[in-house]
Amino acid sequence: MSDQTLPETEAPGIRQARPGRLTSLLHGSETLRGLSLLSPTLLFMSIMILLPFAILLVMSFWTPVGFEFDTTPTLNNYREAMERPIYGALLERSLRMSGIATVATVILCYPMAYYVAFHVHRNKMMWIVLMTLPFWTSYLLRVFAWKVVLGYEGVINSALISVGVIEKPLEFLLYSQSAVIITLAHAWAAFAILPLYVSLEKIDRSLLEAATDLGDGPVMRFLRVTLPLSLPGVISASLLIFIPTTGDYITPALLGGPDGAMIGNLIQKQFGPINDWPMGATLSIILMLAIAFICAVFILLTLFVRKRIS
Amino acid sequence: MDILDQLGSLKEGKMSRRAFTRSLLGAGVGVMSLPLTSRMAGAASEDHATYFTWGGYDIPELFVPYKEKHGDLPNFSVFGGSEEALTKMRGGFVVDVSHPCNQALPRWVKTGLFQPIDTSRLSNWADVMPDLVNMPGNDAEGGNVWLAPFDWGQTSITYRTDLYELEGEESWDMLWDERYKGRLGSLASGGDAWWVGAIKAGVDFENLDTPEAFDKIAAVMRKQRPLIRTYTDDTTTLEQALASGEMVAAMTWNSSATLLKAEDVPVKFASPKEGALTWVCGLMVHKDAPNLDRAYDVIDSLLSVESGKFMINDYGYGHSNARSFEQFDEETLVSLGLSSNPSDILNAGHFQIPQTQEWETKMNSTFEEIKAGF
Repeated sequence: MSDQTLPETEAPGIRQARPGRLTSLLHGSETLRGLSLLSPTLLFMSIMILLPFAILLVMSFWTPVGFEFDTTPTLNNYREAMERPIYGALLERSLRMSGIATVATVILCYPMAYYVAFHVHRNKMMWIVLMTLPFWTSYLLRVFAWKVVLGYEGVINSALISVGVIEKPLEFLLYSQSAVIITLAHAWAAFAILPLYVSLEKIDRSLLEAATDLGDGPVMRFLRVTLPLSLPGVISASLLIFIPTTGDYITPALLGGPDGAMIGNLIQKQFGPINDWPMGATLSIILMLAIAFICAVFILLTLFVRKRIS
Repeated sequence: MDILDQLGSLKEGKMSRRAFTRSLLGAGVGVMSLPLTSRMAGAASEDHATYFTWGGYDIPELFVPYKEKHGDLPNFSVFGGSEEALTKMRGGFVVDVSHPCNQALPRWVKTGLFQPIDTSRLSNWADVMPDLVNMPGNDAEGGNVWLAPFDWGQTSITYRTDLYELEGEESWDMLWDERYKGRLGSLASGGDAWWVGAIKAGVDFENLDTPEAFDKIAAVMRKQRPLIRTYTDDTTTLEQALASGEMVAAMTWNSSATLLKAEDVPVKFASPKEGALTWVCGLMVHKDAPNLDRAYDVIDSLLSVESGKFMINDYGYGHSNARSFEQFDEETLVSLGLSSNPSDILNAGHFQIPQTQEWETKMNSTFEEIKAGF
């Protein structure tokens, strides 16, 4: 793309040097023009993301003294985070739970997105809107709805009792890790459907015809053409769900019970009742690094897989 | 201009570009100014005092005099534990009145976030029981106080008389009862649960801040953890679980038992043989309170006899106004676990005593680890 447009834009820039230096400079360089278009967003991002991040980073080297902070930089928080088993275990549990939730969401949403992309020909927009309809309510409301569904006297338990399958309500449904995973998988589904749909929709249908002509059955055609071409959607859906759910704290707080607590709950407690903000900052940084690491590995892995199968 | 007409002309392609842009402009101005109008309409609520309190105190019944005087309720903000509330205010959240308990009082005063209460501005002050006012750290010189006592009560066990089979006397052992594994509940805040652990472990509150006490209490709490269905700061969750039979016994305050009894759920608020945990909570005024006059009206309203009657009758809490108790006979008070002489109850149980900030931090982080399973 850029190879084609570059000569075109450069040429008039050189010839018509009259309309002031700044304008010509802007028109002359593609990079500069791009940057100036980006700059409001860039400025906003750097203020709203980098600044809090810098504060967190600096604070993670402090120590709390009563209500104040001792600002001599120290690595004690990080050492403690490595040594005390609770932090590592909660981090591992959070990554595992949101990993399962992510896989479940993507697997459940893929067929839906596939159906709309390939088999719905009229009113596609309406289908998309209908699929995102549950997400028009508040997140908290959805979590509470699951509490009602999974609860002791909830929908599932009363249904099973009235049918006569069980005599006493199933207690493992609520206040457990599975309750949190189920809720996360449902609550974030919209974030999987949309990127999956977009990437499936973009696939050139003639490629599928070509695959059929060349002798691939439906399964091989899916594995060799559709799946590799929709991988960008799968990657972005996975990341969109995995990153925020790992740090989620409201779902485990309401549905997790003692065994379903995640690292987000602990971070919130550090800034709340425990009153150890530096430790909270340290845990946030560690969580961020862990997520970044896993995402990097995941992206590299999918790129590798894509190369192998296509 | 009719909006349907516009849409129609747009469909038929009759609308000129100018007319279209004009209607877009109109819509834009409308959308932009919408928040302004709602703000103007809601401006009245900004004149009201903000009361930062525990869940359950944000109800009209406690603000009858305030509403009579100002026509509306104060603004509410709710917290689940007083440590959480303090952290939020230290982070810059400015309120008019907040609601800590005696155990937190010296630490709250030390933050410098609060101003002394001028008791001469409170019409109900003469009826406030002196026993409750004279708490350690409450004297702000010149007859002023830091905290105006409002409610007092107990942390104990609410249990289902039909589902929980009592063996012998009522005791804190009920919340450590292996027979009811997974059917017991607890408050999540260390401000209650840890102190109960101290009573269960037999640690005297005077020696709470020692390594041995920490070890002993932590051991007791670890033993309890697998038996607990959930820890929560939300008393409604515990009440619903007790009502449905999901839990048979839970650590609660007076109000849960009283509310459940009113719903005809067969429950009892236990008086454990080791003694219940007792506390006094009250009202403090923020140093930068934006509506100071109304802050005093909030306090006065809470200290009034009307509020007191509601607190005793509907919530089962003690009130600080001596005249509130005149409405009830001795029998009713005993059945609620109350007395017109608060020290009868407070000293019969284990009365919380203030601790240092370091203790508070250490206790909370230990308790959080235990709750998470470590």
